[in-house]
Amino acid sequence: MGLGLVESGKMPKPLTKLLSLSRKYSIWVYQWGLACCAIEMGAAFASPRYDVMRLGVIPLPASPRQADLVVISGTVTDKMAPAILRLYEQMPDPKYVISMGSCANCGGPYWDSYSVTKGIDQILPVDVYVPGCPPRPEALLEGVVLLQERIQSEDMAERWRGAPIIVE
Amino acid sequence: MTAITDRQKLQYIAAQAADARVNVELETEGMTLNIGPQHPATHGTLRIVARLDGEQVIAAEPIPGYMHRGYEKLTEVRTYAQVTALVNRIDWLGSFANEVPFILAAEQLMGVEAPPRAQWIRTLLFEMARISNLILFLGDMAVQLGAVTPAFFAFRDREYVLDQIERVTGGRFHPNFDRIGGLKDDLPQGWLADTKATMDKVRSFCDEIEELLMGAEIFQARTRGVGVIPPDVAQQYGLSGANARASGIDWDLRRDQPNGMVYPELDWKVWTHPDGDSFARFWVRLQETREAASIVEQCCDGVPGGPIMAKVPRIIKVPAGEAYVSTENPLGEMGYYVVSKGDLTPFRVKIRSASFNNVSIAPWILRGVYVPDIITILASLYFILGDIDR
Amino acid sequence: MSDDTTTTEAETEAAPADEQRDALVERFRDALGDAVVDTHVLAGKDVWVRVATEAWAEAADVARNRLGARYFGFLSVVDWLPSPFGRSMDSEVDRVLAGEEAAEPPAMEQGVTGGSTRFQVLARVAHVGHPGDYWGVTLKADVPDDTLTVDSWVRTYAGADWHEREAWEMFGVSFAGHPGLRHLYLPGDFEGHPLRKDFPLLARQVKPWPGIVDVEPMPGEADDEDGEGAES
Ligand code: SF4
Repeated sequence: MGLGLVESGKMPKPLTKLLSLSRKYSIWVYQWGLACCAIEMGAAFASPRYDVMRLGVIPLPASPRQADLVVISGTVTDKMAPAILRLYEQMPDPKYVISMGSCANCGGPYWDSYSVTKGIDQILPVDVYVPGCPPRPEALLEGVVLLQERIQSEDMAERWRGAPIIVE
Repeated sequence: MTAITDRQKLQYIAAQAADARVNVELETEGMTLNIGPQHPATHGTLRIVARLDGEQVIAAEPIPGYMHRGYEKLTEVRTYAQVTALVNRIDWLGSFANEVPFILAAEQLMGVEAPPRAQWIRTLLFEMARISNLILFLGDMAVQLGAVTPAFFAFRDREYVLDQIERVTGGRFHPNFDRIGGLKDDLPQGWLADTKATMDKVRSFCDEIEELLMGAEIFQARTRGVGVIPPDVAQQYGLSGANARASGIDWDLRRDQPNGMVYPELDWKVWTHPDGDSFARFWVRLQETREAASIVEQCCDGVPGGPIMAKVPRIIKVPAGEAYVSTENPLGEMGYYVVSKGDLTPFRVKIRSASFNNVSIAPWILRGVYVPDIITILASLYFILGDIDR
Repeated sequence: MSDDTTTTEAETEAAPADEQRDALVERFRDALGDAVVDTHVLAGKDVWVRVATEAWAEAADVARNRLGARYFGFLSVVDWLPSPFGRSMDSEVDRVLAGEEAAEPPAMEQGVTGGSTRFQVLARVAHVGHPGDYWGVTLKADVPDDTLTVDSWVRTYAGADWHEREAWEMFGVSFAGHPGLRHLYLPGDFEGHPLRKDFPLLARQVKPWPGIVDVEPMPGEADDEDGEGAES
């Protein structure tokens, strides 16, 4: 597709729509499970009851370099934060981030701790915040659906150019 | 250890090859292998730095701290009720079990005791927490050996247990249900019968796992004789729980120090295994899951009526003093050393978590093993990162 | 023996005698002599033994090799300094900055077996593996205020390695003879010793407790002075 067509914004409308549709239903998601929330993420991704694949999301890629989406679930500590940033940098554009759980959103129960990063959005841009401590697997699935809506409706040219996302 | 004999064998072959004037270099360059901090094999965020000689580990050092949240400091600025919510999140697979020793320590300082019904339900939920924890271990151990199917079984059957926990406590795994002097709520109607039915599922899950794994040749080959911990070393490092019992140490705090719970009134057995290898640790945990299912059933039958809350003041101020209370958590001995100065908040809480000691043996046990065995040994030691780092 | 046993307010009602634990204390005394400074038995529950600083390593040896407490529970440190920050909502420091009179800091109290220094090291060992014969004991020793160093237990209990690293990192207490006191939890460039009482939790000082928005004072309870309302 490439060839500067998307970046320049000259893609025909129907084609854009088709492309967005197919991107939306083929998200490779890398799991960055950190704490309790990782178990709920595991339940959403690996358990037969919740089964994220029916939403067109493919969990467990071999490496972040193959992933479109990363779910940061759990407590991010100051010691861990550089590793997360490094992971994020390895992912190819366009990339999306779901922050799962109060800890990743804002520090959660450790809002006053000396070693916890209070909010993953301090180090990388987040697309969808899933609140809860821990969020139920259904909540994570809803977060995925919201992200898919966002992918469907976003301005692809801008995303391709790697422009920062502006959250209205 | 087998590893050493293998090494001698290699040296012998090298000597022979040198004799035959074949230029083989068996003396390898040392290599450093970094696993983690986020790696599926470390289930969580443990980082391991291993110095290798070929396939063999010369020295390995786990680097914890990627999940360090500063619990002990935070407890000093939380009220006792808030601490309960916090300590849920130490061992997140068996949350309810984390609350109990803390509550018991506070009760010991205050001199209150929960009414019998609360003690029975505590025991019941404690064992449910153990089941929900160990089920994941049984599935996960197989994943570390390359078999993915048992993990799906584990996630499937764990949901049934979580459903039951959720019906009582409202939370899938952070219940925050225990209170100083009793419990937050009573059991919902019809819950006991449903729980007993769930235990049948747990038992059939155990049978399934046993059939899938125990007989499998690969499983046996990868775990038997691997990572042997002699009982004396286990005690020096403070290994507790199933890890100690798998080394033949007949010790279970549920039996030996059943404060605040009703284990002496139940009919159950402490399982031990003399071998001390990865297989023994798996086997003991498998039996414990079954045993826990039977304890839950007995509790369901035995729960007496009565109140679930003793008389305690609304605003809890714990009298000055010190108490150390530990219980047999799914991972081993979990204890809280609570120092109170009569305030709303504890003065100091030392959290003695099981995984911290269980993993501190890693440098000792990983010396001389092969790289793939790092994974199985760590998996069989079974730790939870929150429980190491706190 | 009983006159050596201190009692706290927590056990004012005459506690039943605990022969097993009294005998244990006696055995510590036999082995360590005057090095046993103070003891405390909570009948039916627990026992504490405080030894002199110099005898800290020897106490480990006695516990493990003579008395049979081969199981190592944990090792840690307590900082007995009353916290200058309280719960940081309305701390002493803030009040002084706002121009108020500094209150007299409360005196240090060293817990059940007394003591005279700010830091105290404590460890738990137990005798396990024999059904029906299980006991544990908490050993304590003062950490000298000037050197902040006690002997390491690693030679006796190999498992003390990580515990001592943790204590060193969290309290700044050194252990003589430890093979390598390195950071365990915190990143290498972390400054300070977080579990010391005078280490502030900055987040608490710059922002109020997030839960404060939904707290209403309970009817009839003026017990709100710490700014957090009534929980539970
Ligand atoms: S948000 Fe809650 S459940 Fe999730 S990681 Fe943080 S403490 Fe654990």
